[in-house]
Amino acid sequence: MTLTLERVSYRYAGAAAPVLHEIDLTLEPGRVLGLVGQNGAGKSTLCVVAVGLAPRTIGGELSGSVRIDDADTATASAPQLAQRAGILFQEPHTQLASSAPSVWEEVAFGPRNLALPLDDVVERTWSAIDALGIGAIAERDPGRLSGGQAQLVALAGVLALRPRYLVLDEPTSQLDPLGTRLVGEALARAAQSTGAGILIVEHKTNLLARLCNEVAVISDGRLVLNGNSDEVLANARLTEWGVAPPAERRLRRTAESAGLAWQAEWSST
Amino acid sequence: MNWISRQFTTRVIVLIPVAIAINIVLGYTVQTVLKLPIYLDSIGTIFVGVLAGPIAGALTGILSNLIWQYAPVIGGGTIGPFAITAGVIGFLAGIWGYLGVFRPRPASGSQLALSAIVAAALAIVVVLPLINNPIYTDPNQGGFVSWAVPAAIVIAIVVAIVVGAFIYLRRDLAGLWVAIAGILTGVIAAIVSAPISAIAFGGVTGSGTDLIVAALRQGGADVLQASLGQGFFSDPIDKLITSFVVFLILVSLSPRFLARFPLGERLTRPATPSQPSMGDTPS
Amino acid sequence: MVALTTALIALGVRGWSPPLIVLLAMLTLVLYAGAGRRYLPYLLATSPILLSIILINTFLYPANDVAFTLGPLVATASGLTAAGQATLRVLAFATSVALFALTTRTDELVDDLERRGLGRRAAFVVSTAIGTVPRMVERAREIVEAQRARGLDTQGGVRGRVRGLLPLAGPLVLGALTEVEQRTMALEARAFSAPGHRTVLRPYPDSARERALRWGLTVLTIVLLVGEVGGALGWLP
Repeated sequence: MTLTLERVSYRYAGAAAPVLHEIDLTLEPGRVLGLVGQNGAGKSTLCVVAVGLAPRTIGGELSGSVRIDDADTATASAPQLAQRAGILFQEPHTQLASSAPSVWEEVAFGPRNLALPLDDVVERTWSAIDALGIGAIAERDPGRLSGGQAQLVALAGVLALRPRYLVLDEPTSQLDPLGTRLVGEALARAAQSTGAGILIVEHKTNLLARLCNEVAVISDGRLVLNGNSDEVLANARLTEWGVAPPAERRLRRTAESAGLAWQAEWSST
Repeated sequence: MNWISRQFTTRVIVLIPVAIAINIVLGYTVQTVLKLPIYLDSIGTIFVGVLAGPIAGALTGILSNLIWQYAPVIGGGTIGPFAITAGVIGFLAGIWGYLGVFRPRPASGSQLALSAIVAAALAIVVVLPLINNPIYTDPNQGGFVSWAVPAAIVIAIVVAIVVGAFIYLRRDLAGLWVAIAGILTGVIAAIVSAPISAIAFGGVTGSGTDLIVAALRQGGADVLQASLGQGFFSDPIDKLITSFVVFLILVSLSPRFLARFPLGERLTRPATPSQPSMGDTPS
Repeated sequence: MVALTTALIALGVRGWSPPLIVLLAMLTLVLYAGAGRRYLPYLLATSPILLSIILINTFLYPANDVAFTLGPLVATASGLTAAGQATLRVLAFATSVALFALTTRTDELVDDLERRGLGRRAAFVVSTAIGTVPRMVERAREIVEAQRARGLDTQGGVRGRVRGLLPLAGPLVLGALTEVEQRTMALEARAFSAPGHRTVLRPYPDSARERALRWGLTVLTIVLLVGEVGGALGWLP
């Protein structure tokens, strides 16, 4: 069972032209897929389509099919989709949904909504909090967290629903370097511990180089490249599509063209 | 019952607290900080009513008043009982929403000029009640009362010009309907508020508008009449301004955004521009 | 519940004694709750309207039973009565408001209401609205500061103040609206629209005494209001 987009095109409600054209994409549990592309290429749109928020919640016209395990996003309800695929957006604070007095209650928001028994709610909340290592701030007021902490809390809230797939739309773009590192490390840990299939959109290709098994490139609403992450990130046409190759590759290329052999210990991974 | 719950989609549920907060913050700033003689605490209420429907609008108004009354720091005072008025305002806004009052109606030529003049005339009519009242100089409150009449005249002229120019410059008939809706809302709001004020608070509100109440009482009005007179001065103008503000906000939002709300469809221009007449019945 | 009923009694019933009783009862509770000092701001907030009530009703009441004169001003006995009663009503109301506001934690109240069947959407609206107000006040303050740094005059005459309104209202409103879409998606993605009642986190004990008090007050309020409207309470002093 996978998360599969098949010949997907999507047009926003009230918009003239589709933003996505004939996208074919498959996400498998346990694999990490990176998505890169210029601003406006359709990355964020692809994210909301992949988890089923489009068309169910924000309207619009979807052609082709998006299947998340056994559910079709055109027919399943939002709560059903929420338990299969979770999504994390860029802006940390608008995702803290519940105006709860503590981080713990905020993370418990999802399971509570599903009317699960209290024991289940407690267990899921704590395991999400521990998976991301935010136990120390569990009693804090969510309104007073830093950007990086708020993102982690939002992510914990999503993980508490135990989705098999996780879509991350530029989760570190609004964060300072410290927050970025915090969230990046937590993501790597979460990827391992939950075994979820992860789709991550990022401009920071260094991060993708470290995290991803596969990388896809999107340009003008179409997927132009999709494959093994090392191969894709080394592709010479990346800049043509508005993507900056990871720093390491640029250095390596520069070094090699200057005649130096690349030493293994220069790699940061 | 389904009609009611269809007004409360998740998006509306998200919008209402924002609207309540806008009501309270703007209302507090305008009335207490800037000390202007208008309320401007219904922008959120009318906004929700037009976008989501009468019940949602009414709820927004009622909750705004209740939360404001009991809020720490800015709470207290006597806003609470007027939640009834706020509910009515929100309900009316929902009706205007259903009727498509706030939808842009492009027009030109004589139709435009005529409606601009009508709107301006309406504005002046609205302010007339105050000027008509005999103003006695009262040594105790003399200094304040004397500016009431010139101020009223200035306000009338300014409002007339603004409304007329708005319709004319934007080439948009909707300005006339918005003005009518706003004035109607204000009149009804005044009628609903006057008994509340008279019964509970002896006919006064504790703000600058009480000077108007004083002037009216001096002219021989009783408690209820004075409250009503004051209401007829403040409310129609306030709701007129508020309605225009809501209209301006709505036209500046993309159709994409509006279409996602329950009554959003009634706010967008029809795809093929037709020749709208003055008696255009909105779909 | 208590607050609502006492507020209604305080405002709805004419005469001297009901507001007086309510006022004394509320006042005792306020002092009992140890909230004496925090109560004062609520009291002070009523001073503008009290001033209006006293002045306007004493001297400008539509009646002819003169009580005393103060230069050109004529005070009527009915006016004084009306002023006094209205003052008591306002004070009683304000005290009841203060009592409620000072002793109730809104999140507990909302939680409890939800447990009794209020529904998650209403609970969400109320608790989020309460939380959004301080946030927006902060944002408004920031906007005003930024505008002031750019030379906006907030102290000047009426024209200046009106001109000062738009630069404040514009960014405030538009900023708030852009978040609506994001928040809607975030809620749906966390299964907000799932059916049924949310899991209860903390059950609140509800003693028989509290229930009796609630029902008793509700019945009393209804009786008093109906009596008032029906004119049956004229015998109260």
